[in-house]
Amino acid sequence: MTEKTPPPRALFMRFPFGHALGEVGKRAQQFDILLRAFRLLFEAEQPGTIRDSGLRWKRESYPEPDWEQFRSLAPVDRP
Amino acid sequence: MASRLKNQLLARVFTTFPSLAARWGKTLVRHEGEVPWVEPRLPLKKAVVAVVTTGGLHLATQPAFDMTDSNGDPSFREVPVDAPRQSLQITHDYYDHRDAEQDLNLIFPVERLKELEQAGALGKLHPVGYSIMGHIDGPLLPTLQDETAVEIARRLAAARVDYVLLVPA
Repeated sequence: MTEKTPPPRALFMRFPFGHALGEVGKRAQQFDILLRAFRLLFEAEQPGTIRDSGLRWKRESYPEPDWEQFRSLAPVDRP
Repeated sequence: MASRLKNQLLARVFTTFPSLAARWGKTLVRHEGEVPWVEPRLPLKKAVVAVVTTGGLHLATQPAFDMTDSNGDPSFREVPVDAPRQSLQITHDYYDHRDAEQDLNLIFPVERLKELEQAGALGKLHPVGYSIMGHIDGPLLPTLQDETAVEIARRLAAARVDYVLLVPA
């Protein structure tokens, strides 16, 4: 569906409908997905970029959120 | 009512078997036209971020999304990010939202974004989120594209929001 109506940048999640941020109460998972989405915001180089998160439904382990990783998210220098 | 039950059952099937949803997605017509693009200018920790969801979320005091039209409902709702959980509900027959009802962060991650704000990792969470009901088809697609989306974008731009997180249901 995302390929048919591409937004500027999209993080593709191989998760069921209604579970874009993952599983109920899985805080670390939800922050991991947000980190990937915000990284894409700054790293994508052209409109319609779709990045596959690579995450598998209910088969991953997630680290506790690292606030410093979020604090470091900023526009990248491009040549 | 029978039609709504059928849609809700199909939603559970599609949620349980994502490969079926993927097959259905292949039948959709590709949008032809320019994809909007703006280079990000601010670090996340200085930016105002807003959330838009297609999960059919709304305040209980607002009109529910219309489930009687098979082409969907192209209207939107403003959802305050500080609204108490008990004041919110989901009206959407085209995805299984039982888990989202237990944890709204799955489709409207404002609790997590507030934590980022408190940690100094996100400048500010815009106090108003936006919700549409993502099953919109046929004659209502131009309404979504030319009216609803335009009005949401206009309001976000007027509020000087820097980045928008669009969360599909």
